Amino acid sequence: MVAALLVAPLAPIVAGLALVTGDRSVRSVSRHTAYIVSLLATVVSLVASVLIAKDRPVLNRQWVPEIGMRLHLAVDGISVPLLLMTAAIGVLVVLHARHEQPEGGTPATFFGCLLLVIGGGIATFLVQDAISFFLAFEVVLVPMWVLIGRFGDRRDARERARAAYTFVLYTVLGSTLMLIGILAMTFAAGTSDLAGIAAHPLPASGQTAVALILLIGLGIKVPMWPLHSWLPRAHTVAPTAGSMLLAAVLLKMGTYGVVRLVLAPLPEGVHRLAPYIGTLAVIGIIWGGLVCLVERSLKRLVAWSSVAHMGFVLLGMMSGTEIGLQAALYANIAHGVISALLFAVVGGLKHRWGGDDLDTVRRSLRDISPRLSLVLVIGFAASMGLPGLAGFWGEVLAIFGAWNPGGDLPDGWFHVLAAGASVGAVLAAGYALRVLWVVWQGSAHGGVPPKPEPAGDARGNEWVVADVLGAATVALGVIPIVLLHATSDAVTHLMAVAGR
Amino acid sequence: MILTDGRLDTTTLALDLPVQPSHLVVLLPAAIPVLIILLTRKSAQAFVVASLLSFLGLLAPIVLLAQQIRGGAVAAPRTIGDLPVGPGFAIPLHLQVDRLSVLVAVAVGLVSWAVQIFTRWYLYSDPRYRQFAAGVGLFTAAMQLVVLSGDMLLTLIGWELMGWCSYLLIGHESERPKARRAAYKAFMVTRIADTPLVIGLAILSLGAHSTDIDAVVAHWTHAAGGHHTALTAALLCLICAVAGKSAQVPFQDWLPDAMEGPTPASALIHAATMVAAGTVVLGKLITLLELSDTARVVLAIVASVSMVAAGILAFLQHDLKRLLAWSTVSQVALMLLGLAVVTPPDDADLGIAHLLSHAMFKALLFLMVGWLSVLVSGTTVERLSGALSKHPACRTMMGIGLLALAGVPPFVGFVSKDLIVDAAARGGIDGDLTARIAFAALVCVVLLTAAYSMRMWLILIHRTGSQRVQVRKAVEDSYQVEDVGIVEMLVDLPQVDHHGRPLDHTEPLPVVVDEDDEPFVDQQPGGGARLGLQLLSLLSVVGGALVLTPMLDVDWQHPNVWLIVASLLLMGAVALVVRMMSVGTVYGDAAARIPVLVRASASRGFDADRIYVAVVRPVIALAHAVTRVEGLLDRGVQALPRLSAGIARRSDRLHDRRPTSGLVAVSVGLVVVGLMGVVLW
Repeated sequence: MVAALLVAPLAPIVAGLALVTGDRSVRSVSRHTAYIVSLLATVVSLVASVLIAKDRPVLNRQWVPEIGMRLHLAVDGISVPLLLMTAAIGVLVVLHARHEQPEGGTPATFFGCLLLVIGGGIATFLVQDAISFFLAFEVVLVPMWVLIGRFGDRRDARERARAAYTFVLYTVLGSTLMLIGILAMTFAAGTSDLAGIAAHPLPASGQTAVALILLIGLGIKVPMWPLHSWLPRAHTVAPTAGSMLLAAVLLKMGTYGVVRLVLAPLPEGVHRLAPYIGTLAVIGIIWGGLVCLVERSLKRLVAWSSVAHMGFVLLGMMSGTEIGLQAALYANIAHGVISALLFAVVGGLKHRWGGDDLDTVRRSLRDISPRLSLVLVIGFAASMGLPGLAGFWGEVLAIFGAWNPGGDLPDGWFHVLAAGASVGAVLAAGYALRVLWVVWQGSAHGGVPPKPEPAGDARGNEWVVADVLGAATVALGVIPIVLLHATSDAVTHLMAVAGR
Repeated sequence: MILTDGRLDTTTLALDLPVQPSHLVVLLPAAIPVLIILLTRKSAQAFVVASLLSFLGLLAPIVLLAQQIRGGAVAAPRTIGDLPVGPGFAIPLHLQVDRLSVLVAVAVGLVSWAVQIFTRWYLYSDPRYRQFAAGVGLFTAAMQLVVLSGDMLLTLIGWELMGWCSYLLIGHESERPKARRAAYKAFMVTRIADTPLVIGLAILSLGAHSTDIDAVVAHWTHAAGGHHTALTAALLCLICAVAGKSAQVPFQDWLPDAMEGPTPASALIHAATMVAAGTVVLGKLITLLELSDTARVVLAIVASVSMVAAGILAFLQHDLKRLLAWSTVSQVALMLLGLAVVTPPDDADLGIAHLLSHAMFKALLFLMVGWLSVLVSGTTVERLSGALSKHPACRTMMGIGLLALAGVPPFVGFVSKDLIVDAAARGGIDGDLTARIAFAALVCVVLLTAAYSMRMWLILIHRTGSQRVQVRKAVEDSYQVEDVGIVEMLVDLPQVDHHGRPLDHTEPLPVVVDEDDEPFVDQQPGGGARLGLQLLSLLSVVGGALVLTPMLDVDWQHPNVWLIVASLLLMGAVALVVRMMSVGTVYGDAAARIPVLVRASASRGFDADRIYVAVVRPVIALAHAVTRVEGLLDRGVQALPRLSAGIARRSDRLHDRRPTSGLVAVSVGLVVVGLMGVVLW
């Protein structure tokens, strides 16, 4: 079983490296080979992840003793859902990439980069050591940059380059800050093992400073308002598969980092910063919602809605309550599934329309492409937090958590924050229905409903991907109990450690 | 076979199974959309699924009712289990089966079934019938969840889902821009009104450390002395949400616009679901409402204003479907007043009784108007005028519906309305401010209801005899023109196009067939739908007898006879006035005597829509402002890569692309030091 711990991240990483380098050797790898290899690697990784989730093996070896760095791979309730989601989304992304392979490079490079991002994500959720966490975190950076910069939207080369550079510079800045924070904690604790760091907390004054540095660094990744500007740009330009990974995996690494590196080892620092970070989170919710109300590019709109949704996650984390943290972890997973679904659908629409301007008058999608319209409706309904779909539980429970914050956090201010988040949920309804109004119901005037066009509807891999994600969205909404139980014990433990 | 092995207790009808009838009440209608989407591709298949499951969905609450009467119902059936969110907070997510909720569940099941059957006829050739039937199913499930919910979060789930379903059903004919806008408006107005709902629920359940409704009620009943402000605030939040869903002032305007949806959707939204949900939710929390006088007064004022204003608007509507919509606003306000006027230890029976009676007659009225609108193709006064004289098959049931709406004894509307008036009068005499406000508004609304019901009836039965004579005369006049030869001239001359050039081919003139010559066959819904309508009519007549049973705990033994007589006399007088006003008008429309400006304004709901738009406009302006600020922020961020690129270029220019000797020395030194480090380590 310990082997599974190594197979899960290494299968995609090795396969990805092989594809990227193999592409540059004697002759380029064919598209079909690249697809099969990628699919195999991600499926193996998914199987390994399922085994890990079932048996919870632990691998704990010395690695670089001089700085107390260990090869410590294990999972707990907080990382298992993220691990499974990343592995599953990995398979779906590869399936989708087969359907929609962007220009800009060879297929093998494209699939290879996807695999490297997936592998890096899986590794991030497996490692229990702060410095290896940083390493895994960094693995995804360059392949993602390639995905955005080379395989991005072909229509505007300048915008593509700009988005890619903004992404890289921003996230590298974030990682650097995170590294500083990690090193500070590591040297204070004498070990870089996460449990060890949590067991030897910094003095209160130091905690605030380190927590601040880490929150800014990770906040870029999450993204937290006002450090979010890279996200809409990157999403708009990135190919569909890249957007799905960006939303479902990369953003989750940021929130996961907050839980592991900030909430657990630096409770006092978090406590001091919570009102401020909470405020930024709520500003992000409202800000994102407002921008979405008038945004014209559909893909950008979905990216902006991510900013709003991650605000709920941060708010839940900052409430300092178990219900808030449970809500945050739930909203985290829910956002991963929903935004992957939305990007898959919206990417498909952009592909079909040759653009994603919402002001263009089009006929109703509900009549032309029933399948696409079904998943589009599920996605946007979930995005507005409709009950029965994934988005509901996290957002409602986050508001519940924020209304009654833990410890001696200022009640009054958190009441305001909860009310602000509640308003943000209304804005979400506003923009989601705006999209449905324009796209789903169609902005064309009058007449009889247009006839279905089965040729233009989702088929094959695209339909499978959208279907699975749609089903997952419904399942998470109808049976929240499974995921909440998975995280429950770990959250209780974390709260006990942090509350000490 | 399951029932014989001791799982069924034949005296109490208790079932010893994991799945209780209460679960089925919610699950059966919820299965309709799932099965329709997964299994069916044709309307006929979808109808089989929808009719079968909605019929079972009617049987389930009836079984539950039987269980409840015999005492075998499970009071708090579990659903998906507790949500684990920490030791200090419980989210049990269970249902709650009690007297009132079971009754409402039966009514919802009945109306939903009638609507499903009727829809098949009404939307027979609609390509989106499947989606509509699925929406009706989900809608019913959401309402049943609210009705049977024993947990604040389950209530919230059903509540929000209903808003979503109303969006789907109102926007059904989404190729029409008006339907798109109405659907958007309905959802957004109710969603905005729901903003405080989550907060209100959070206050109530966090205080009680549980979302269990019983626990919440128990906690706040004990703690009311100490946390009165918090309780009042939470209740006001809830009342705001209720005002939104029930289309009370200031959120009233979405409901008449919702008439853009197909008529069966209106029947569902108005009769049993959505608008009535507020009454159900407040009814569950009636004990808390009774504790807070502020909340009661606010509720009474909101309901009173809505009730009277909606009554006036109903009288002035040009579209009779919108008349019914405004009457719904008025009648729902009546239910809410039924909740506001009760005092401890009374339960929510008054409001729920009116909910039940309203569900029967309003579903009947809407479905009948739907039927008539198919016959005369429209719902405006001009179209519907005299519709009942032409189509007498609808006459009895329409009459029953309107009599029940007007509150004429012994129809069901009379019974439930009179009980509320009675309670308000009694409370008013005791000096209760809420009851006094309510009573004043009730007096107005009893008369207004009589007035608009009478008006609608007069329009529908308007006899066009004299008009027919006039028409015949006019036609005969034109026969005399024939003698002059104009008609022959017109017929015999070669046809020309619009430039006056003669057309080459001579088309035969379209043959005009006089409608009276053909034996006219009325279209009518299928037998099942008519059975449903007849059932609703029957219940609208005799349903009032429900108050005599122990299922409803109301004081019917001591009616205030003088009050009843006085109100009946006044209603009669009002009806007479309306009749007099209608005499001599073209369509038998009493409102034709009102200045057209007033009527035009009333048709637009006194322009409340403009206020809504005015409220939204600053938000959009803010959104644009935010986007601009975002642009600035982004430009700042964009300076980052440019800055680093600039630095790189400048430093690039600094050196001459040849390694200087110093740099070589440093590099070599570094390598040596590195090697030493590795070797010595």
